[in-house]
Amino acid sequence: MTFRKRGLLAVVAGLAILGTGAAVGLGAEKAGKKAVVADPAAQKADDKVHITLQTVPPRKAVVKWGSKNLGMIPVPRPLVVVRPRDSGPLDLVVHAAGFLPVHTRAYTFSDSRVAIKLTPVSEKNTLFGYRQEVPPEGAASPDAGAPPPSAPAPAPVPPR
Amino acid sequence: MIRDGQETWTSAAGAARSGYTVVDLGDDWTPYIFAEHRGPDGAPLPNRYRRVFLGLANDTLDEDGEPLPAGETNYLELYGIPPSLGVLRARFLEDEKQHCHEGANLAAMEAVETVGYVAPDKVKQEEKRIARLRDELEDARRKAHVQTLAELAKDPKLEPKVKLVERRAAEKLAMTEVERRLACEGMFKRGLKHSPGIYDDAMRLAVRRFQQKHMIYESNYLRQKTMDALARAPLANDHEALVRVLRERVVAAASVLEDGSLEGKNGPPTYTGANGQPAPVRNLVEELTKSAVEQLGLATPETALAFFKRHSAADFRSLRAAVRLPALPDYYGPTMDLSIVIDRGEVWYDLPWDATGARHPQPRKRYPSFHVYVKYKEQRIPLVRWRTTIGGWRAEQASDGYEYFRYKGSDVGPRVIRNVVAGPVWIAPESTPIRSLVKTKTVNGLWQRVVNYDELGPGFLSAYGLVAGYLVVPGKAGKPDWDNGIRAHGSSEYLSMYSSEGYSHGCHRLPNHLAIRLYSFILHHRAMQIVGDQPVNIARQFLLGDDTFEIRVPSRGYQYVLEPPLPVDVLEGEIKGTLKKPVMTYVPKPGVRYPGPPPAVPNSAEARAGGVSPGRSAGGDDEGGAP
Repeated sequence: MTFRKRGLLAVVAGLAILGTGAAVGLGAEKAGKKAVVADPAAQKADDKVHITLQTVPPRKAVVKWGSKNLGMIPVPRPLVVVRPRDSGPLDLVVHAAGFLPVHTRAYTFSDSRVAIKLTPVSEKNTLFGYRQEVPPEGAASPDAGAPPPSAPAPAPVPPR
Repeated sequence: MIRDGQETWTSAAGAARSGYTVVDLGDDWTPYIFAEHRGPDGAPLPNRYRRVFLGLANDTLDEDGEPLPAGETNYLELYGIPPSLGVLRARFLEDEKQHCHEGANLAAMEAVETVGYVAPDKVKQEEKRIARLRDELEDARRKAHVQTLAELAKDPKLEPKVKLVERRAAEKLAMTEVERRLACEGMFKRGLKHSPGIYDDAMRLAVRRFQQKHMIYESNYLRQKTMDALARAPLANDHEALVRVLRERVVAAASVLEDGSLEGKNGPPTYTGANGQPAPVRNLVEELTKSAVEQLGLATPETALAFFKRHSAADFRSLRAAVRLPALPDYYGPTMDLSIVIDRGEVWYDLPWDATGARHPQPRKRYPSFHVYVKYKEQRIPLVRWRTTIGGWRAEQASDGYEYFRYKGSDVGPRVIRNVVAGPVWIAPESTPIRSLVKTKTVNGLWQRVVNYDELGPGFLSAYGLVAGYLVVPGKAGKPDWDNGIRAHGSSEYLSMYSSEGYSHGCHRLPNHLAIRLYSFILHHRAMQIVGDQPVNIARQFLLGDDTFEIRVPSRGYQYVLEPPLPVDVLEGEIKGTLKKPVMTYVPKPGVRYPGPPPAVPNSAEARAGGVSPGRSAGGDDEGGAP
């Protein structure tokens, strides 16, 4: 498990008391069973930041940081990642069954909460970047390739 | 400080009291805009990017702020992050031992000014063409009964062919030398195969790396400055780097801007000094740098090497030097009446292509320029004049998921800069082409796609560069400023500033190192308030393939507020072509089929501001000079 590797990373699942900032040091895979003491260096609060990860809607999700599996978001509780302060960002990929994978980033400048919005696979057309289908060949495609309008539209005007 | 030719130790405060300027040579130096500040209550105002800047300058972090793999180096001087003195020290000591310059065929390098680019897939074709030409000339030589091709070249009809054959032969020899030198300096990327004599990807990247190391703006090509640097001894190149690094340190210590950029055929402009006599606008950047270099005994590669041998790496953690710099002009003071004028130069609103997609040239003789003035005794004295950018036709992502062209112009008229942001973050609007918002990188040992934060910032590759001033129309009667998204900012896309076809998305770009000098100078000579980090919590998702990508922005950057704001006047310039006003709607790309009519264009400040060039790299070189 990752949190046993000295000085690299400590992952704990916190109680989902969002808004109060409470997080209890429980191992993500042993939630509710045994308190886990994270990396000893992580005990110095000044040197560490806590990144609280949750999904919206709340669904169990696996969080990966490159080749490293950070653990499962154990809904309704969040996953809390402890990292050295100002040690660079974490590019994460969140996988939840039935939803599109989400590539997101967490920062280590200060404590933070990351609410990851999940989109069902069936609703991918609601996301920006989804490309509308082009009408079949031969069908009208208004303005496509047409020359530009000859008269320019008025420019926005600053308030007086 | 140097006393009687010897280094002696003194206190910084004492040196400053004695009229010396203290130049920070420490490895923990940043430009003023990234310096550690405190608020009025004494509380620290930390800058998120400071650590990354220092890590990049010291070769300890990458652009994301993550540890740099052992043995790797950041060559980012070209993009506004000079190496630390500690890094330069290591470079000097290493280059003293290497022999890249020994046995080099310098005559072959000096025989050509440039090495012409031949695309890898055209090399054989070109070789056959030159071989045919050589045979043809040989036949002509025999028929003309002359001994050499040089004699044959006296025939004006054959002269161009002879020159071409000779140039290609000389370039081939020079190319061999270039390859040898780049390999010796370790410029070729590991794992990328290079075929000798061919300007392939491995070669292109090696040349780019060499140019980055030596701050050469020549877009991956073997042009004159690159060839000159390749022909110099490594220690001579290191010395040039040291002088460049010292220049930024001296400029920061003295808070000057004048860099000789105004000098023309008739010399620099003049002004009337306090004594009523005309005085030239001095090139303070060079004058002060030269003075410091000489006082510190760093005027030659040999003395610089001796300096680095005298001082251990640990010395450079916090080394400062006291130098006595020439006095500054009369118009200098803690508060200067500064202003900026941006001349848009020659402006084209016409579409640069026709319905078939064929490009139509839009030549410019007068390019956009950026001027800084100081008002002194009823005179407006110019301090610098730099090339900058204005907006032009750019690709944008519309709400239907398709890309269109849009004219992203630069506003005209009086504006002000109230906010200066160090390490600015550009909040990519939805109109940003999605392909520019994702990149690939190794994350914890896994090669994967990630959001391209290089473009967003903070960072040297950011759409706003390392520092930005926000141009606004000041609000009246209690109304807020009107922000149309135009900034004057640093940029790594130097081709957008220096190539004939370079344009921005409406902003006025400057090379990062000049933007840093500019805003550090302004902040030192104007009343201002340090606000500090501007935290936000912005998240936006988009779809690429079957994955959702989420842009997360935790801060807009580190804010300074100028009070009163700095006046800026943007001149209209000369409108060329048929259209006299810009088209404000989306224009479909030629040859692209769309699902319907173009959607409405977004007009928020962020949608108008900044912008990135899809598929570009720093320098903008992947797009042939039109980022």
